Amino acid sequence: MLRAALRELLAHKGRMAMTIIAIALGAAALVASWVVSESISHTLVSVDTRTDVGVSVQSLHQDAALTPADRDRLAALPGVRRATGVILGRAGVVSPDGKLASAATSMDLAGTNADDTGRMVTVAGRAPSAAGEVAINADVARRNDLAVGMPVRVLVADGRSEAATVVGTFDYRTLGSPSTTDWGSDTVPTVAFDAQSAPGLLGDRFSRIELATAPGTDLKRLRDAAERVVGGVSYRISTGPELARDARERATSDIWDLRFTLLPFAVLAMLVGMTVISNTFTILVTQRIRQFALLRAVGASRRQVRRTVLAEAVVLGLAGGTVGVLLGVALGPGVIAITRPADDIDYTVPPLAVLLGYLAGVLITVVAAYGSARRASAVSPMAALRSDATVPRDIRTRNVLLGVGALLVSAALVFATRNPNAGTASRIVAIGGAVLGGLGVLLLTPTIAGAVLGTVMRLMRQGGRPALRFGVRNAARDPRRTASTASAITVGLALICAFASLSASLSTLIGSTTRATVPTTTTVLQPGGGNAATLDPADLTTARHLPGVSAAAASRDMLVDVDYPGGTTKRRASAIEPEALNGLLTPHITGGSGDLRKGFVIAQNQADMLGLGVGDPVTLQITPQTSVRSRVAGVYEATELQSSIYFDVSLAPTSLRESVSVIYLTGPDPAAVRARAEAAFRDRPDVTVTDQQGLVAQGVEAQRLAFVVMYAMFAVALIIALFGVVNTLALSVSERGREIGMARAVGASRSLIRRSIRVESLVISLLGALLGVLVGVAVGTVMQHAMLGQRLSAVTIPLDLIGAGLAAIVLAAMLAAAWPARRAASTAALSAIAE
Amino acid sequence: MNQTTTAVRATGLTRIYGSEDAKVTALSDVSVEFERGQFTAIMGPSGSGKSTLMHCIAGLDQVTSGKVWIGGTELTVLNDDQLTALRREKVGFIFQAFNLLPTLTALENITLPLDLAGRRPDRSVVDRVVDTLLLRDRLDHRPSQLSGGQQQRVACARALVTEPEVVFADEPTGALDSQTSAELLGFLRQSVDDFGQTVVMVTHDPTAAAYADRVLFLADGRLVGDLTAPTADTVLDWMKSMERAAH
Ligand SMILES: Nc1ncnc2c1ncn2[C@@H]1O[C@H](COP(=O)(O)OP(=O)(O)OP(=O)(O)O)[C@@H](O)[C@H]1O
Ligand SMILES: [Mg+2]
Repeated sequence: MLRAALRELLAHKGRMAMTIIAIALGAAALVASWVVSESISHTLVSVDTRTDVGVSVQSLHQDAALTPADRDRLAALPGVRRATGVILGRAGVVSPDGKLASAATSMDLAGTNADDTGRMVTVAGRAPSAAGEVAINADVARRNDLAVGMPVRVLVADGRSEAATVVGTFDYRTLGSPSTTDWGSDTVPTVAFDAQSAPGLLGDRFSRIELATAPGTDLKRLRDAAERVVGGVSYRISTGPELARDARERATSDIWDLRFTLLPFAVLAMLVGMTVISNTFTILVTQRIRQFALLRAVGASRRQVRRTVLAEAVVLGLAGGTVGVLLGVALGPGVIAITRPADDIDYTVPPLAVLLGYLAGVLITVVAAYGSARRASAVSPMAALRSDATVPRDIRTRNVLLGVGALLVSAALVFATRNPNAGTASRIVAIGGAVLGGLGVLLLTPTIAGAVLGTVMRLMRQGGRPALRFGVRNAARDPRRTASTASAITVGLALICAFASLSASLSTLIGSTTRATVPTTTTVLQPGGGNAATLDPADLTTARHLPGVSAAAASRDMLVDVDYPGGTTKRRASAIEPEALNGLLTPHITGGSGDLRKGFVIAQNQADMLGLGVGDPVTLQITPQTSVRSRVAGVYEATELQSSIYFDVSLAPTSLRESVSVIYLTGPDPAAVRARAEAAFRDRPDVTVTDQQGLVAQGVEAQRLAFVVMYAMFAVALIIALFGVVNTLALSVSERGREIGMARAVGASRSLIRRSIRVESLVISLLGALLGVLVGVAVGTVMQHAMLGQRLSAVTIPLDLIGAGLAAIVLAAMLAAAWPARRAASTAALSAIAE
Repeated sequence: MNQTTTAVRATGLTRIYGSEDAKVTALSDVSVEFERGQFTAIMGPSGSGKSTLMHCIAGLDQVTSGKVWIGGTELTVLNDDQLTALRREKVGFIFQAFNLLPTLTALENITLPLDLAGRRPDRSVVDRVVDTLLLRDRLDHRPSQLSGGQQQRVACARALVTEPEVVFADEPTGALDSQTSAELLGFLRQSVDDFGQTVVMVTHDPTAAAYADRVLFLADGRLVGDLTAPTADTVLDWMKSMERAAH
């Protein structure tokens, strides 16, 4: 039995190769995502974390920075050998060619004091020991071609800069989880100054005080003692082992996050692969009904027949799995380069990934082949005796009912979740509903194909060339075969349209808020280096006093806890001068007023999600000590990506008032303002002067990964769609050698056969394509709603992309039909009679 | 009614195809017995129900009413798995064409029923069958490398290799020339004479029917004649008289 199955596979190499590739694509996506996340986690976990610190006293807010006095009191605790304060301050390295060195760490947190706690391990040169000397993070040095001995300029707070010489480079060993943006954790510094100069340049406040302990000290007790010295919500006091454990847990959860971003690829590729595989098996089984019937007649049980088909599936799955594992392992480094361009990742291939690849290969194949296996086992042994044997088909009415049911449920789910909503659950429900609708359409495809083609055929009965009539009739005669070919196209084009709509909506989204909110006449000053960097407060003063500037304001962006009647959540808020919303920025107010003195101005989309309306009370918890309580004064139009809650800067605590995120300027002559600003900040590489257009470009850049993901999905969809089209068309023609031979025998010319096969392919692919566009645009609409938090009606339908996709698929279908059409035309009339 | 002399027995066999509006009565109230070690031919005009009768008594098709026994086992009460096992163990089939799995060699096709049963082929039986059918030097060939007659011989060997209670053949010579037909019928005859095999064969050919011990005539789903020790001439006479009766 197994032997027969294996030989059957070997007898059809082309068909086998097609199926193996389809399986391999899915398996490869899974293996690649697993290998990549595993490699990244391996690298993250193997980061040299310090375990040599007894107790760390970490300040959580810049407002609550620790003082030298705190350090001295902590040093006096019993068991403490030494207390070292870690300074974090603004520092940006300007390389000899005048460029700000790029660094992962936000510039505001990039400078520190050199010490001998073991935080820094010298890689080259030595530690800084005198004024005018600095050591540079080895990664930053490598990436920016900085070397020991180079003269550099270091930008520090208040727009000042310091000339210095690089005397060494260092690797940083973090205490707990590394960070690049958070004052309240161990950020990886870019520049280290010598201990004497550091307080003068970076300020004498500490982000953290590390307590080195004598051996045998009870760390928990010391921690409690430290809590009595500097207690409160603004500090986190932990023992070294606690931090190490937290770091490990963080790394693990990071890795799951990463897996969840990569796995959808794998799932998508596998699902689409499954349609190709199940198509292949359907045809495979149809071609071999006689064989199955014969097996049944000579004594094979249903189970044995089913197992024969499943054995073929397993063998194909293993073969596809092998190719997939190899492909996935080969693709991994590329995926890492795209998702983590900045990091050095050790590429590791865990055995589990290989196992998963095989498992996925076998599983998707067996699942995809299962329906065919069941149909094969239902072949009556009598079929061996009849020449018109057909595979018993599933009860049509059941599929129609299921399809209609799926559509109804889908509509209900999407309708129920139509309001933009923050809840992940409702988003998943919405997407699930959309996918269910797509499945419903697939189930209904045979019925739709029957109805549409039947009508076309009736309309054509009178006229039309023979090839046209012949082709349409062929397509109409077996709606289920037509539907299974058309479905491959539907699925492919639906994916294309869905991702095209999603990415078009996203780019519209990115541009629209910025264009609406920032007028072209406004000049924008932004921090130049690092992410989440801030400008110096002094820069606002400078900018405000530039000649020709009539209005200047600054936005200070932060994450805050929002207490609203429905609960508490973390949201972005911006403290800004109330005048700014009056010309400098032009948010489109859709409800209430834009006057910050009366309360908060909140994005429409946030208001929708939180269920807030004008007049509702809201409290912004900015730091544990500071909160702002007010009401919603107005609602402005914005999208999830850029939405914020604006509040009056005079209500913000001093430290936040000084951490300026963006400065907006304008004047009677906007061009002159821009020119003046550029001139004023010419030698400040840490300040970027830009405008509306620049912001839009940045928004797109910030979503680069999202676009990369979407285009990758787009590409995967396109490849698989083309593949499915070629596969199914080729198979559906080869399935009918006898039939075509018969047509030849009764006098159809070669060219008639060729042309009618082409017509048939065109009819089938057009049908599939139109359904695909419908399904794809619908799913895309729901996706942009669910993934971008927009209203359903806010979808942007990229007609050009969809048109191109449609043309590509139909063209591919025509090309795909060329070969089978030629083969069909050369079918000998004899093959109708011969076996 | 002695089990030792009756291989297959059917009583009151009726088979109706289709539902109320389009009913076809392919068999109506047919009762028949096939003696062990006897070669029976079934004849009749096209559409008379020959194949239907064979399918019903072989357990390939469901009966509308009536009962069938093969070697003492009543078929109509068996479920699909039991029927499958019965076909494997007690019944051999030879069809008009498409008898063989194209990917298996001749030998593998011959031993397929044993393979399916998970039984080890009995060497002596296989050797005997293969030698009787003169297939020794064709065992490694694929069906596509065999002539039509050779293919039918392989099918015949497959039907015989399980030493079944009964071999059913539906127009086994329908696609063969007279020379090859004669050979195949000779082998069937030999299996009856030498090994006491029971054979039931549907045929249109009076010459083929002459190889049998007995000929049954069907018309319109009814048994209309039963001829023992037939010759081509007596069979032909019978057929002519039936044709006259029909007109
Ligand atoms: N699956 C079926 N569905 C409906 N009617 C059937 C089916 N199989 C057979 N019949 C009908 O039953 C009758 C008997 O058919 P059967 O195949 O037994 O004839 P036959 O004697 O074998 O004919 P032939 O010599 O042409 O093979 C015919 O009228 C046929 O149309
Ligand atoms: Mg017949």
